Amino acid sequence: MSMSTPLSKPQIIAHIQKSLNYTVFDSKWIPSSAKFVCLGNFPRGTGVMQIYEVQHGEAQLVKEVEKPKPIKCGTFGATSLQQRHIATGDFDGNLNIWNLEMPDVPVYTVKAHKEIVNSIDGVGGLGIGDGAPEIITGSRDGTVKVWDPRQKDSPVANMEPVEGETKRDCWTVAFGHAFNDQDRCVCAGYDNGDIKLFDLRNMSLRWETNIKNGVCCVEFDRKDINMNKLVATSLEGKFHVFDMRTQHPTKGFVSVSEKAHKSTVWQVRHLPQNRDIFMTAGGTGNLYLWKYEYPAQRSKKDADGGDVGVAGSISLLQNVTLSTQPIASLDWSPDKQGLCVCSGFDQSVRVLIVTKLNVV
Amino acid sequence: MSADELFSCHSQPTTVDYSGKVPVEHLDYDYIEKCKDVKYLEKILRVLRSGDEGIYPHLIQFCESHLEKLDPKSRALRQENPAATAASLPKEEWTQIVDELTTWQEEAKKTDNSLKKGTIYDAVVKETIPPVRGSNCFVPVSQNSVPNGRRNLSKCALPRDYREWDKFDVEKECAKIDENVVNTDPPAILNIGYPKIKTKVDVSLLPQQEKLLLANREKDKGNEAFRAKDYGEAVAYYSRSLSIIPTVAAYNNRAQAQINLKNWHNAMKDCQRALELEAGNMKALLRRATVYNHMGNFQLAADDLRMVLRDKPHNATATQLLSEVEKKLSESRPEQQCKGKKILIQEVEEEDDNSNNETTAQQTTCPVQPSQPVGGEESSATPAERGDMGNAQKKPHGRGDGGPHSESNNSHHGHWRGKGGSSDKYKVTQESKEKVANGSSKRGSTASVQGDQSGSGKGTPVGGNAAETVNLDAPCGALPPPLSRLKNEGNLLFKNGQFADALEKYSQAIQGYTDTGLDSPEDLCILYSNRAACYLKDGNSQDCIQDCTRALELQPFSLKPLLRRAMAYESLERYQKAYVDYKTVLQIDISVQAAHDSVNRITRLLIEQDGTEWREKLPDIPLVPLSAQQHRREEPPSTEVLQARAEKAARDAERKAQIHFSALKQDGNDFVKKGLYQDALGKYTECLKLKPEECAIYTNRALCYLKLERFTEAKQDCDAALKLEPTNKKAFYRRALANKGLKDYLACSSDLQEVLQQDPNVQEAEKELEEVTVLLRQSLANASPAKPRKTVPITEVEDDEAITAVPNSESSYRGENISINLQPTNAYDFGQSLNAARCSRNTAACAELLASTAPEMLPQYLSSQLDGHTISFIMEALDSHLLEKDPTLVYQHLNHLHTADRFSVVLMLLEKDERHHMTQLFEHLSVVESTEFTKNDVQNLANKYI
Repeated sequence: MSMSTPLSKPQIIAHIQKSLNYTVFDSKWIPSSAKFVCLGNFPRGTGVMQIYEVQHGEAQLVKEVEKPKPIKCGTFGATSLQQRHIATGDFDGNLNIWNLEMPDVPVYTVKAHKEIVNSIDGVGGLGIGDGAPEIITGSRDGTVKVWDPRQKDSPVANMEPVEGETKRDCWTVAFGHAFNDQDRCVCAGYDNGDIKLFDLRNMSLRWETNIKNGVCCVEFDRKDINMNKLVATSLEGKFHVFDMRTQHPTKGFVSVSEKAHKSTVWQVRHLPQNRDIFMTAGGTGNLYLWKYEYPAQRSKKDADGGDVGVAGSISLLQNVTLSTQPIASLDWSPDKQGLCVCSGFDQSVRVLIVTKLNVV
Repeated sequence: MSADELFSCHSQPTTVDYSGKVPVEHLDYDYIEKCKDVKYLEKILRVLRSGDEGIYPHLIQFCESHLEKLDPKSRALRQENPAATAASLPKEEWTQIVDELTTWQEEAKKTDNSLKKGTIYDAVVKETIPPVRGSNCFVPVSQNSVPNGRRNLSKCALPRDYREWDKFDVEKECAKIDENVVNTDPPAILNIGYPKIKTKVDVSLLPQQEKLLLANREKDKGNEAFRAKDYGEAVAYYSRSLSIIPTVAAYNNRAQAQINLKNWHNAMKDCQRALELEAGNMKALLRRATVYNHMGNFQLAADDLRMVLRDKPHNATATQLLSEVEKKLSESRPEQQCKGKKILIQEVEEEDDNSNNETTAQQTTCPVQPSQPVGGEESSATPAERGDMGNAQKKPHGRGDGGPHSESNNSHHGHWRGKGGSSDKYKVTQESKEKVANGSSKRGSTASVQGDQSGSGKGTPVGGNAAETVNLDAPCGALPPPLSRLKNEGNLLFKNGQFADALEKYSQAIQGYTDTGLDSPEDLCILYSNRAACYLKDGNSQDCIQDCTRALELQPFSLKPLLRRAMAYESLERYQKAYVDYKTVLQIDISVQAAHDSVNRITRLLIEQDGTEWREKLPDIPLVPLSAQQHRREEPPSTEVLQARAEKAARDAERKAQIHFSALKQDGNDFVKKGLYQDALGKYTECLKLKPEECAIYTNRALCYLKLERFTEAKQDCDAALKLEPTNKKAFYRRALANKGLKDYLACSSDLQEVLQQDPNVQEAEKELEEVTVLLRQSLANASPAKPRKTVPITEVEDDEAITAVPNSESSYRGENISINLQPTNAYDFGQSLNAARCSRNTAACAELLASTAPEMLPQYLSSQLDGHTISFIMEALDSHLLEKDPTLVYQHLNHLHTADRFSVVLMLLEKDERHHMTQLFEHLSVVESTEFTKNDVQNLANKYI
């Protein structure tokens, strides 16, 4: 309905573009501020962390620090709003937590993995998710580990293959289901298309599936509710939306899939103000903005009388091409609806404004 | 789509060849137009776009538009777009976006900086989070890979986790075995766990900006759940949001979710609360109308819908619902309304007798003046308006408007009290109304006068408008002219004290009513109620009771018949029944002082008569439905209500103003608007010479003084205003500003807290408080550490009307003891007693007061009183007097005290020695051995305080 005229649908506006002199892997808004952090790799092989402030239509560099190892990923998910410490994972398998006011020495550091930390996520901070602050890291070494910044040296939980099992490269991790102070789930995606859902309350594998293609990114639509939906993006341009409300004993969770990008879908990020809207970022420099529509009934009885979920549908709200190079990271501002930062392999970071999100 | 495919298979069997090449003849307008196969069209489009068969832009366009018609979401229609830029948007839109962004950036910068400063909460917050989950707990990454030996290797720090982990595995193994034997699957896991969601969020330790953030986020979550039709979950998240900060939007949304769950009563409550926060809120009215409609209360539904339509005449939902409701109303009226059984929710505020005449009288005598929000530059609410606002709160139906009602409206509900009724020929003086309405029994009069005044403006000069031009033919509700005349004659006779004659008229009217077969229970109820008043005056209690009972059958829970019946019962010495009726009255309107008095008196009589078990012999006291309760809270109207009223009144002001209000005040207000504060000051001073009891003038003059930076005088005026209206928010707010100007930050902060206490959404006050808190800290830091404690109560004393500080000596408080009511039954009594005790630093009296107060009532009683000194004083009293006697009670009090409103803020403002008192108390308490609580409990509790 709202799609009838081109002007009534959301527009994705390239507001600010900034070229960088390093390869940027991740960019994240600092909560409750107009600043964002860029993480990456200097050509000389060191890591870099930059803070930019959005001001008068420009991104102004506020701070830059160089670190020994290239930094792959970061999250503010497990910090309090007062502290706003960023947790990062680097090429050497280290998990560091930095106070951005004094970023010279980490406030927490641990050799988390034997190889590169591909992905990181946090929960329990920023008022998102009741319960303890926890950080999760996924690495090429095949393990997924849960950390509590109050505990030095060892993880609180370790999801690793037993000896004899092949170690798969874990590309992505995400928290979810943190709707009270006990329940919490971790989802991990692997290079072979495996998606695994771990239940931290029971310390068990709750569900697994395979989407036949490397899983580049997984994200729950919201971390701090009863798990509702999960989006998993894949290497060959497809992504899947799982309805996480009904878990059939054999069929698991139902999903709907969509192929939009002609190449890898690197990232998916749900709009913090509306969990049913999400953006995917692709390997050919394009962004797709989607909306999930629920079916009339979210579950039904199967032939045996058991409950089985019903998937909804996905509609495209808008798409734009920003570059010829992949967009590797994307982050919505948690504070200002429609504001988002994305960075790509074209060594630039962009601030985008997406309009009319409140009317879709 | 499959159907389409099938169709095309039959009609064009040769063409459906998805793998092969598209024949050139298919690249044709006619063919494309006829083709219904989306997939094949997509293929054609691809061929056309590729240009392999030549480039035909128009054909491509045609094909696209045809495809869009068949399948607007077809992927073939997706095209790569460049990112939009400023130029691709209309200019206004872009300007708006940029403006919003700039505003946000500035705000974000502020929040950012203030977050950086305030790290004091962190330590406390940390206490509340659960412990570390464990250490190195191993979780298998595949379901079949759990080697036995591996499990033992895992080291879980917490035994709980270990057990759970252990247990889980066993179950799983068992399940596997089961699966092999019997082929039954475990049931699906449904993640619908909203009962597991806590509906309250403990944010007492968080600063305001974080609370706002959180409240918004929880509301968003509620909205999402709502959109996904998880209404139960939506309710849970709205409740969380409301537990952080109550907002109209969240109440409205929760009301809608409750409506969808068919929880009518909860929905009703939420609508009421929303309307309390913002009278006349469209959504709340609309939703309440829906609830009324479902509860079978069509009359009230119609009222609400008319309110909505008056503001938004084109609201389709309201129009539709109204026609539906009106239809039901006309159908169901005879059965439902006469029996009065289904209509539990009765509009209690409706007035007897000449209520709709009152409205017109009121209009001519005391027009409403615009009032401004707290701290606004402009001024003034007349007392008349205040009375009116009281009314608005009692009647949360949001009758905040002044639009004229058509006669047809009035005929539906004679009690409608809109100002601006169209028949202003009929005028009854204030005095006469009161008499007529309440049968001039002393006790009755207090009660009914309150009822009346709520509509007609307290403090309007009574004698000023003694226009005795009574039009006896004025219409009364739905009564036909002859009956109206009878009733009006009855009213007039009653007023003149000719009760027997009045009785006769009312009887005739009732007879006439029955004869005509009219259908208007409201009017009949009023007639009975009025005749009952005559009977009561004549001492005929039996008949009075009978008439009241009839009236109550017609309109259950009407205030006046209940009150009159209670009095009649009392005079017949049927105390039990009288007691029940008075209690019911109090449920409807807690502010009826006469009922309070009578209940106290009767209680004594009943104890004498029936002994200590007197309560058991009572008949059941009916539970008054929420919507029939006028005074669910005793608080004065909130600023939102005032504000909403004021805004509406302002709209009508031009039309309505100038009739009555004194020219002086108007001039003063005008000067204020122009910024000529010196001139306004003169006008107001003249005003006060004429009417020294006008609260609004004092607050207005205070504003002028503030603007002229004459803070001492401003403060004096606020004090005077507060003497007249002890809860006047403007006065508090302006005194806060005055105190700030006088650099008395403590007094300023306590005044601001008072404002916020009464209404947490006054943002100016919020801001000021933040600012002042900083100033206060600075000033405390600069001041000598051992500041004498006594200075505090003395500054406080100025708030309290006549109480002067008494030195803290044993002898003096003994004498004072007598004047302190140690058995408070409501917040007001409690507040008075506590103030009295505190002003004399009489901790023993305070201890006694606390001993006679139920701990769970404490937060409620304290609601409007809480400040640092009160807390500290209570601590002192508990520590020095109550701890030895009854440590359990102390514990319970402490356990409830911290749930009081704004406790956390007050806590932050405590001074050093005040904190010391608190620590001491907890130390003492933790030493006490008790079966009721453990040391741990005390420690946990202490964490909430220290």
